[in-house]
Amino acid sequence: MPEKRIVLKNCGVIDPRRIDTYLQQDGFKAWQKASAMTPEQVIAEVKASNLRGRGGAGFPCGLKWEGARNAPGAEKFVICNADEGEVGTFKDRYILQNDPFSLIEGLAIASHAVGARQAYIYLRGEYRFLLSQLRGAIRQAKEKGFLPHVDIEVREGSGAYICGEEMALMESIEGKRGEIRYKPPFPTTQGLWQMPTVINNVETLMNVAPIILNGAAWFNQIGTERSKGTKVLSVSGDVAKPGVYEIVLGTTLKELIVDLAGAKNIKLVQIGGATGRIVSASMLDTPLAFETMLSAGAITVFDETRDVIDIVHRTMEFLAEESCGKCSPCREGCGIIVNILERFIKGTATPKDITTLEQLSSAMMLTSLCGLGQAAPNSVVDSLKYFRSAYEERMKKVEVVAR
Amino acid sequence: MADITVTMNGKQVGGPAGITILELAKQNGIDIPTLCYLEGLPPTGSCRVCVVEVEGSRTLVASCHTPISAGMIIQTHSPKVLEARRVIVELLLASHCGTCYMCEKANICELREVAVDLDVGVPRFPIRRRFYPIEDESPYITRDLSKCILCRKCIRACNEVAKKHVYAMGYRGFDSKVVVDFDEVLNKEVCRDCGICIPYCPTGALSNPQKSRKDKKGPPLVIKG
Repeated sequence: MPEKRIVLKNCGVIDPRRIDTYLQQDGFKAWQKASAMTPEQVIAEVKASNLRGRGGAGFPCGLKWEGARNAPGAEKFVICNADEGEVGTFKDRYILQNDPFSLIEGLAIASHAVGARQAYIYLRGEYRFLLSQLRGAIRQAKEKGFLPHVDIEVREGSGAYICGEEMALMESIEGKRGEIRYKPPFPTTQGLWQMPTVINNVETLMNVAPIILNGAAWFNQIGTERSKGTKVLSVSGDVAKPGVYEIVLGTTLKELIVDLAGAKNIKLVQIGGATGRIVSASMLDTPLAFETMLSAGAITVFDETRDVIDIVHRTMEFLAEESCGKCSPCREGCGIIVNILERFIKGTATPKDITTLEQLSSAMMLTSLCGLGQAAPNSVVDSLKYFRSAYEERMKKVEVVAR
Repeated sequence: MADITVTMNGKQVGGPAGITILELAKQNGIDIPTLCYLEGLPPTGSCRVCVVEVEGSRTLVASCHTPISAGMIIQTHSPKVLEARRVIVELLLASHCGTCYMCEKANICELREVAVDLDVGVPRFPIRRRFYPIEDESPYITRDLSKCILCRKCIRACNEVAKKHVYAMGYRGFDSKVVVDFDEVLNKEVCRDCGICIPYCPTGALSNPQKSRKDKKGPPLVIKG
């Protein structure tokens, strides 16, 4: 299946610094259409399109909007999560760099639907170089009169991975320490400043304008039964052509990394960055959709020359560094997994260490407060499932001496 | 408030809407261990020891901050829950300094109590301890952060009960720590004559400054046999 461009249709076509080039490509037509509709009609359209959140969890976008719209609150907020911290993703950067106007249009429609007067774009700290362009785009849209109902403010992160999680992101916007809040209450009822808040990924909001313009029925034709539309994926690692690809949901992993990106001698693929799943080369025929294993848009390919334990160890080192330190399983557990993996690297591990890894991983997945802790042992669990021999080879060699 | 009926450990129990699973369990005489829960103060959900199994939930849920909803089927002491609690307590013990025999709070230590209840001995995990110097500059509080399990009770006690806002969290991940100002040593300039946090501390991280031997009154008692 070839690439299909819905989200990225304007990337490379328009000049991201000039709004008139965007207006030539039917820019803000969807906003004009949406502003003539009632908020309920907009939400109904998005709900009918079955658009699912592109940040990783795949929560239906329409339900989120409806929840926030109906929740009682003096003020409502819409946040665009552009804190793209996941290891190996760069899709949001590509979108923001090439087409900030579609995002602003999506935010304008979302704010109209939810009834928010204030919207935030939470930009990753490392993406500071996009700040002036993004603010320029907001200013131009405002000057052209496309944002009569909402103020869009760009907030910068400071480089914490955890602030990509919705609750920690809100704490960060409030000026507090970037830490998880417990759920429930969910953001749709008590989010930013305890007010109903909708938080959407950049890519989710990019899908809104095409849906409003072309209708939910059109969007429903694309994709699989439970995952509609396309997905922008960042392919990196041992591939001939790394980069951003937009594929129809349901495309197999093989079509993406072998046919499009040109990977050879694949050993394993990490889908969804540091907290993502690891799949072995035998599973390349799995379709990429929310019902299978898709999360954030990172696809990292490792070829035969790479060592599984090194990959997992590096991943866990990263997560131990980035754990916020609030809940005990994640704070203590990530570091302990790193320590146990170091034993495998040094060759001092015993069979008991594999059992400990399994017990610890499952407890962390069950008890952690947020998605980071719950998904942190994914790479350990999956590598133990598909590459158990790699662990067994690295165990302490006990020599049996014949008497 | 309307009563909500839930099934807890196979028994139908009811409670007013809005209360948490932990509160309902307490009302019904079911003991769920906790380390960071403070009655009457907003929960933080940081220790995760109070997790329970709720049917239909992907993960275990912490009972201290999860409100009850109609038709919930809750297991507070299933094997899965007990094992998860054990792992968490072992994780906490793996980074705890483990000098119980010379700890002032050894016999009233909540961490030890929970560990004994769950039948936890030596942790199965590699030991990685935090070591911080003992802060005994303040005449009111002695802090030994090597014993801290980061339950944040002292922060909440200071903020919500004493309203003094002396403590806060600093650093990240394994290195996170309860800090005073910009990670200063607790001295009498920042915190004066209150000590409300000491009884809240579940471990010996906060304690009353011990009187040194020479301060004790009277001549030394010598028993002759």
